[in-house]
Amino acid sequence: MTPILSVRDLSIDYRTRRGPVHAVRDVSFDIAKGETVAVIGESGSGKTTLAISLIRLSPRSAKIVKGQILYTGASGTTDIRTLPEDELRAFRWSECAMVFQAALNSFNPVINIWEQFVDTARAHGMKDPKIVHARAEELLDLVRLDPKRVLRAYPHELSGGTKQRVLIALSLLLKPQLIILDEPTTALDILTQRSIIDLLAQLKTALGFSMIFISHDLSIAAELADRMITMYAGIVVERAAVTDLFYRPRHPYSVGLLRAVPRVSGVIGAVASIPGSPPDLIRLPPGCTYVPRCPLAVAACSEREPDLVPVDTPDHDARCIRWRTVAEQVGTAEVAVVEKIVV
Amino acid sequence: MTATPADAKMVAQRFPTTPRASRARHILGYWRHPVAQALLKAFLTVFVTTTITFFLIRLMPGNPIDIKIDELTKDGLMTYAEARSQAASLFSIDLERPLPEQYFSFITSVARGDLGYSFVSQGTPVTAIVLAVLPWTLFAVGTGLLLSFSVGVFLGLFAAYNRNTLIDHVLSIGGSVISAVPSYFIALLIVIVLGVELRIVPYTQMRGALSAGITPGFTLEFIGDVLYHAILPVSVFFLATLGHWILGMKSATVNALEEDYVIAARARGLSDGRIMTAYVGRNAVLPLVTQFAITAGYAIGGSILIEQYFVYQGVGLRLQAALLQRDYPVMQGILLLVTLAVVIANLLADLLYSRLDPRIGRAGGATGT
Amino acid sequence: MTATALPRSRDSALPRPVQAAIEFLRLLSRRPSGLIGFIGIIFFLVLAFIAPIFVPNQELADVNSIYQTPSLQHFLGTDNSGRDVLNQIVQGGREIIGVALVTAFLTTLIATTLGAVSAIVGGKVDAVLVAVADIVLTIPYLIVLIVISALARPTNFLALALVLSLLGWAGLMRQVRAQVLTLKERDYVEAARSLDLGLFHVVFREILPNMRSYIVIHFVLAMTGAIYAQVALIVLGLVPFSGKNWALMLYFANTQGAFYFRDAFWYVFSPIFAIILLQLSLVLFVNALEDIFNPRLRSS
Repeated sequence: MTPILSVRDLSIDYRTRRGPVHAVRDVSFDIAKGETVAVIGESGSGKTTLAISLIRLSPRSAKIVKGQILYTGASGTTDIRTLPEDELRAFRWSECAMVFQAALNSFNPVINIWEQFVDTARAHGMKDPKIVHARAEELLDLVRLDPKRVLRAYPHELSGGTKQRVLIALSLLLKPQLIILDEPTTALDILTQRSIIDLLAQLKTALGFSMIFISHDLSIAAELADRMITMYAGIVVERAAVTDLFYRPRHPYSVGLLRAVPRVSGVIGAVASIPGSPPDLIRLPPGCTYVPRCPLAVAACSEREPDLVPVDTPDHDARCIRWRTVAEQVGTAEVAVVEKIVV
Repeated sequence: MTATPADAKMVAQRFPTTPRASRARHILGYWRHPVAQALLKAFLTVFVTTTITFFLIRLMPGNPIDIKIDELTKDGLMTYAEARSQAASLFSIDLERPLPEQYFSFITSVARGDLGYSFVSQGTPVTAIVLAVLPWTLFAVGTGLLLSFSVGVFLGLFAAYNRNTLIDHVLSIGGSVISAVPSYFIALLIVIVLGVELRIVPYTQMRGALSAGITPGFTLEFIGDVLYHAILPVSVFFLATLGHWILGMKSATVNALEEDYVIAARARGLSDGRIMTAYVGRNAVLPLVTQFAITAGYAIGGSILIEQYFVYQGVGLRLQAALLQRDYPVMQGILLLVTLAVVIANLLADLLYSRLDPRIGRAGGATGT
Repeated sequence: MTATALPRSRDSALPRPVQAAIEFLRLLSRRPSGLIGFIGIIFFLVLAFIAPIFVPNQELADVNSIYQTPSLQHFLGTDNSGRDVLNQIVQGGREIIGVALVTAFLTTLIATTLGAVSAIVGGKVDAVLVAVADIVLTIPYLIVLIVISALARPTNFLALALVLSLLGWAGLMRQVRAQVLTLKERDYVEAARSLDLGLFHVVFREILPNMRSYIVIHFVLAMTGAIYAQVALIVLGLVPFSGKNWALMLYFANTQGAFYFRDAFWYVFSPIFAIILLQLSLVLFVNALEDIFNPRLRSS
């Protein structure tokens, strides 16, 4: 089965006065139909740059220097990079919808929600307001909101959680195959986060779309994702199924992330942050970029950047020459990593 | 600062919700309503202006009343007492009563529309004099400003969308240059450069507000004539304010283009045209609407010289005549009525703004949960 | 993010103010219109204050050469008494620029103080001050100036500056207040306030130094407003100045009906041109300043 989205060797640079910032380097991954992929990383890891480039919404200072973004829809496979403007506009939202982080400012403040539905619909050829209205009601019911109140409202009259739901409802308007969510639960309180995550889980099962979501929050990945990608300094450092990455990580950065998550139960004192900070993306070191913060780094690590290689579990790649050492430390048990490493 | 049960109890004790208290709070709640606040501010502005003129006229050394009394008693034809009462009646002030009473009666006269009588044309009420000329100025300023707003907003939007290209530089520098030239100089330059020197503009014919012999009425001839004579003043008000709108709209548009909802709209596949009008344009123009009335106030200020150069019979020309003749009641009346006009313009602009921006104007703001 | 960092390598031997000046000029050169404006301002300052030291006042009236056109002897022609126009231009900038500087200083002082206090203290004080500013802002500036000047006849330099600034602070005050409100939310201010460092410390040591560029911008804008107002008042004859003054030249031209004489063109046009060029230099300079300082402040 062809994956619906196949990203190959994507590299994106930002132009700055100090030189090009290599924000995303040689990123490759696939997404199958109905699959949910989580892209996890710190701020500055390139995850948002990656996401917006998938629908070619990057700012003017960003440039895709190489790679392909292959999308397979009803009409075959196309490289998004080569789509002409009008087809790109048609592609956006109807095939692939993007829900931005902090839905707080995703809506035009001076027109009401109904008009924004109409704008979106009309931009894709749905001109009959009755049809649009019926569909809007259907979608708002799906996200458990009252259509009468919401459609009439202006964005400032709705809370953050409500706006996020409206945006999710709007994203389903044209029944896209792929939905990209950038930090969908950041900036929301914890109860609202819970309801959004539940909502996304239900919708995903009911409607069968594929999802990419970007986050720095591992717990949302654990709940919703089938596969996970960890990004560091613009490159993919590990790619695996969610259970593999949580119980059997093979890259020191993934291990570090997992250990940094505080747990409700379990060993006190086993939580640690990763010391140090991400590298300068303009002048990259010759070897692995994680070396300054890596507890397992040796001399060979600084010589050249490691390749993404398959490890001992199926469909699982890691970018570390010492992945076997990590495997020894972490093992293969279905037990949380935090309880395995007592350092 | 999280509320504790102890805090809640304290609040309930200090602000009991008796029927009377809740009704009082309900009425005071109207206070928050932007319309009520705008009306109050308008009223206060006129009130403050009236007070300022009263004190200037009564309390400054060498004030107009004393000057008038001197004038009247100069040739010995009138006694001091007679002169005093005549001067007082010209100003609608009773000099016999103590100061606070004078102030109060002055305020009430003004409220009734009695602004005194002209010094020069004895017996003509100031209100009538000013109201005869004010509409001409308001017409010229209003037309000029509406035109410059429409053109300027469009050009500013255009410049922002073509940022850092030649057209942007031309419009920005052009806007800066025009805004630097004082409005009255634009008028003067039109007269002396285009009119006297280059003889392009037939300023002698275009002078005045009306040609001789045309009778006012709702005829095409009259309207055409009015427009013909209004061309020069309107052009000056147009040019004087155009730069401000171009630069203001460009800056507002540049800001709006960086907003999240613009990127989100593009992600939804909306066309650039729709985004430009309903998403960028409508948001960028909002701050400019609030400046419209204030700009009108400034423009009217320049009319005192502009109308002089075009001999356009508006309020500016009349003010200049009053200056030359030391006709203080008329000066005061013009100040009050022009302020009133600007205040009303402000109110209308605020009302319009509250209709355009849904975040203001609904007394309450965020009500959702 | 710190693109305004001072250059270190070769120039580290120079004192800080010189370094800052060099950096400033470098920033300005990226906006050529601003550089032109800046040069214009320097030119006029020299013309108004330094040139008269070298060019003595010429009072000789020569009835034989009334309203002459420009010649080698009189670069800008002569006026209605045969006096050289260029000389009058050289002598005439002092008062205008002087009053503008004093007015701008007073206006900026009042506006900055009231705006900062209003934003920081907040509450009822803020509401009252904003209401007062709104009222002052709504009253038509030039007209109330004219009426006050007609009634209260400012006779000197300082009195005029005072009147101008007492009526012109409102717009600037609201802008200062808006900026302080945004700065107030910044971390270092929160830190200072939680350390209970007092109102004056917060205003003068934390907030105002970060508004330096804005204060300069407001100052220059206040100057343009002051020039606009005083020229209007002088041309109307409301300010009984003696001495030489560009606007006074226009007042005399008006009373002599010189506007409609073709011969008098240069006499009338020269002061107009001088005033326009001065305003233009100020406006170009301030627009460039706004461009330079705004994007940085917004992103930081």
